[in-house]
Amino acid sequence: MTDLSKIRNFSIVAHIDHGKSTLADRLLEETNTVDKREMEEQILDNMELERERGITIKARAVKLNYRADDGQDYVLNLIDTPGHVDFNYEVSRSLTACEGAVLVVDASQGIEAQTLANTYLAIDAGLEVLPVVNKIDLPAARPQEVKKEIEDVIGLPAMDAPEISAKNGINIHSVLEMIVRDVPPPKGDRNAPLQALIFDSQYDSYRGVVVYLRVMNGVIRPGMDVKMMASGAVYKVVECGYLHPKGMVPADALGAGEVGYLTASIKTISDTRVGDTVTGAENPASEPLPGYKSCQPMVFSGVYPADGSKYGDLRDALEKLKLNDASMYYTQENSIALGFGFRCGFLGLLHMEIIMERLEREFNLDLITTAPNVVYEIDKTDGSHIEVYTPLNYPDPMEIAQAYEPYVRASIISPPEYVGNIMELCQFRRGEFKDMTYLDTSRVELHYEIPLNEIIYDFFDALKSRTRGYGSLDYELIGYRPSKLVKLDILLNGELVDALSFILFADEAYTRARRICEKLKENIPRQMFEIPVQAAIGGKIIARETIKALRKDVLAKCYGGDITRKKKLLEKQKEGKKRMRTFGTVSVPSEAFMAVLKMDE
Amino acid sequence: MNELKPLGIYIHIPFCRSKCQYCDFYSIGGSRDRRLVDNYIQALLVHFKETGARASDYIVDTVYFGGGTPSFFGADNLRRIFAEVQHRFRVDKDAEITFEANPDSVSESLLKKLRAEGFNRMSLGVQSDRDDVLQKLGRPHSYEQARSAVQLARSCGFDNISLDLMFGLPNQTPPQWEETLRHVLRLRPEHMSCYGLKVEEGTPLWEYREAANLPSDEVQAEMYLKAVEILEQSGYRQYEISNFAKPGFASRHNLKYWLGEEYIGFGPSAASDFAGKRYTNNRDIQNYIRGVLKQDVPILSECETIPARERAGEYVMLRLRTIHGISPEEYEKNYLMPFAPLLEAITPLAEKGLFYQKDGRWILTPTGFLVSNQIIVRLQEAQEASEPLAKKR
Repeated sequence: MTDLSKIRNFSIVAHIDHGKSTLADRLLEETNTVDKREMEEQILDNMELERERGITIKARAVKLNYRADDGQDYVLNLIDTPGHVDFNYEVSRSLTACEGAVLVVDASQGIEAQTLANTYLAIDAGLEVLPVVNKIDLPAARPQEVKKEIEDVIGLPAMDAPEISAKNGINIHSVLEMIVRDVPPPKGDRNAPLQALIFDSQYDSYRGVVVYLRVMNGVIRPGMDVKMMASGAVYKVVECGYLHPKGMVPADALGAGEVGYLTASIKTISDTRVGDTVTGAENPASEPLPGYKSCQPMVFSGVYPADGSKYGDLRDALEKLKLNDASMYYTQENSIALGFGFRCGFLGLLHMEIIMERLEREFNLDLITTAPNVVYEIDKTDGSHIEVYTPLNYPDPMEIAQAYEPYVRASIISPPEYVGNIMELCQFRRGEFKDMTYLDTSRVELHYEIPLNEIIYDFFDALKSRTRGYGSLDYELIGYRPSKLVKLDILLNGELVDALSFILFADEAYTRARRICEKLKENIPRQMFEIPVQAAIGGKIIARETIKALRKDVLAKCYGGDITRKKKLLEKQKEGKKRMRTFGTVSVPSEAFMAVLKMDE
Repeated sequence: MNELKPLGIYIHIPFCRSKCQYCDFYSIGGSRDRRLVDNYIQALLVHFKETGARASDYIVDTVYFGGGTPSFFGADNLRRIFAEVQHRFRVDKDAEITFEANPDSVSESLLKKLRAEGFNRMSLGVQSDRDDVLQKLGRPHSYEQARSAVQLARSCGFDNISLDLMFGLPNQTPPQWEETLRHVLRLRPEHMSCYGLKVEEGTPLWEYREAANLPSDEVQAEMYLKAVEILEQSGYRQYEISNFAKPGFASRHNLKYWLGEEYIGFGPSAASDFAGKRYTNNRDIQNYIRGVLKQDVPILSECETIPARERAGEYVMLRLRTIHGISPEEYEKNYLMPFAPLLEAITPLAEKGLFYQKDGRWILTPTGFLVSNQIIVRLQEAQEASEPLAKKR
């Protein structure tokens, strides 16, 4: 166990692309935690998907040994955090395990919406925030201006902030010295009853659940019985130790102030809730650790196996993913059109896309995802108040006294020349302008109150395209407001396909209904019969398109009895159909379910 | 003596004067290399001998020379091959003996020789009545040549003549197609085949398909239905998707394919369904020759034994191409599979006019033929999801 005074626990916060992962790599190299030779690019992002998307989804931790300029040996625990607005909860969990945060700001881009959001999360968690100006070797770098911006906008002293280039390894040493000097050493009593915070966990088919934790008080040793305070489950610790980029390094004990892992042959994944406190079974702490915010899924979507018989596989896959992702939520759902599936809750659209991709890739599932929706609240005429998570449960209009939809406070930062475009976009999305502040001469921050429903799908893309990529977005839920809502139903060939229904703002119903019918017409291939595509509100048809009947699909010449060839052709056709779902006599490809949402041309 | 089983024989003649723009069948365009022709005939003769030995309880009731262009191959070569077929197989005296011909390689002497040898059916590739179109398609003949070939064949004693036409050709309009049909019908063939042009990958036409101004699927469907109508009115009964015949003149050989009867194919790329196995010969003529004569490369490129359940799928796929359709009794008796799931799929299709029922059999209408791939897939899916009858008991 390392002496408390020689431990520094920190994370790195940054806007996406500002160089967080690259800096982490350099710190690993500079401390010889990983040989330069063995250095895999951005080793902390060790999920395949993360690497492709260039963002860190899952928090990971790593222990660095560092001999500082004062000649003393220090242990620096770097806890990695995700950088996207969808993952605020994961950021908060990781931050609570630290005493300090290195704030990376791009020397040419300056402060962005996410920089602010993550910084405030770190300040809220009581962390010492240490600014670093990155990419100083780029021609467009303006480190002095950016430092001033940090002081003006965030109110952090920044004039002495290290000017570095993570990419080219410039001034990395000064970052390490700053961490040793300015991050407070952890407090904690190793003789007190055990309290350790779970900030992440991962399922390993050989060891069971691997729990990543930060010990706050007491000591963990192999062989001791530990108790998860929220779930009440008790396990005997099999192994504990430190986290190295290349794997786990077992140790005799993990003491207060230290960051590491434990395994305890934990099979029941729901027993190790992220955010829970681990304590000793014999000498338990009197209360769990405070500080973890509970996560709130904001976006819900129906997830169904493309092949109905794979329902069990999907359930198992979701169970496994849930272990690694405390922010995901799911519950069984039954659609008349799609059969058994799940209603899943996500932090945002990016989070949803990542989960879908992981399900398809890691678990080899073909999925149908229905249009994402937010949670609506409804006062019913019988006096009751309900929350609606899925269009399937939307009450009959006759039973609704008042409907409410969630609003967010959106913060958008952009160069001033795009303000007009942004205002136009926000107005179109029913946003209510609040205020506008110049951060400096080249950047302005706008605040809007806007229905969450309007930003969950393609708002960010629309913002990017209207600001030539410069606009950044952050938002937080501010509560529910009365709204005029309707449920739009889609009928294919006269039959209602419940999985295509969704809830929207009443005034937009006609325009959207027409667009959706057109989109479905584009996305559903011609079939043997003409297929009417209709959109209806409460039984009243408000839009219609027709998919014309396929007129010709025939092998005219089946020459010389070459039946094998014809069979192959038909087999190919059958394979294609397997990727579609059939409603009555209409086959619908899975893409059609999402395509209806792409409203922004 | 046991009753002899009927057998069809197909012989592929992979030689053509020139390659047509749309053709993706295996053939060699240009001059006939003397040595190649000799070797090829040699290989065929050896192959007949080997196979004939295994077909002693069969009687051959159809022989079909397809191509390529058998007429271009020459009467003497064809006679030599056919003589050997008769030597190695038991050939019925009333067998249907067909040869395919192109108008540019039909002569009086060829027709006389073949007729004398016992050939009794000619299938002539006419394709269009417009010379500009024929030229564009790369056909080495005029319509006038086609017309005189038919007359010549008549005078040489052929009373079973089939003409091939194509629709859906570049720049073709429905009125033009109708005119072509009426024009060609004046030649009074016993049999007509009307094929929709299919642009196959790897053909020259594929390369310029975008610029070819091909009629849309809608227009092609219209042309097809028009052909069915005109031919029916003129006394030609549709008996398969693309085939029409005066009473008694349906191609007995081609019907074998659709009705699941046995046939053996000789020559490169030819297919067989014989003694419970389905196989396809090597597609390359050199490999085929080596495979037969030197036996150092395999003759077959594919060979599979078709399980009973798959035969049930083929029954649906093949029968539905024909006017015979599918019969619940036949299906349940031969494949021990329930017809009910199929009927469930058929019923809504029948309501939409894609199927009709006659004497207990379910048959596709011309509109149904046009989308038969879709229908077959749907029925096969219903079939694959069902349990065999035997298991249920």
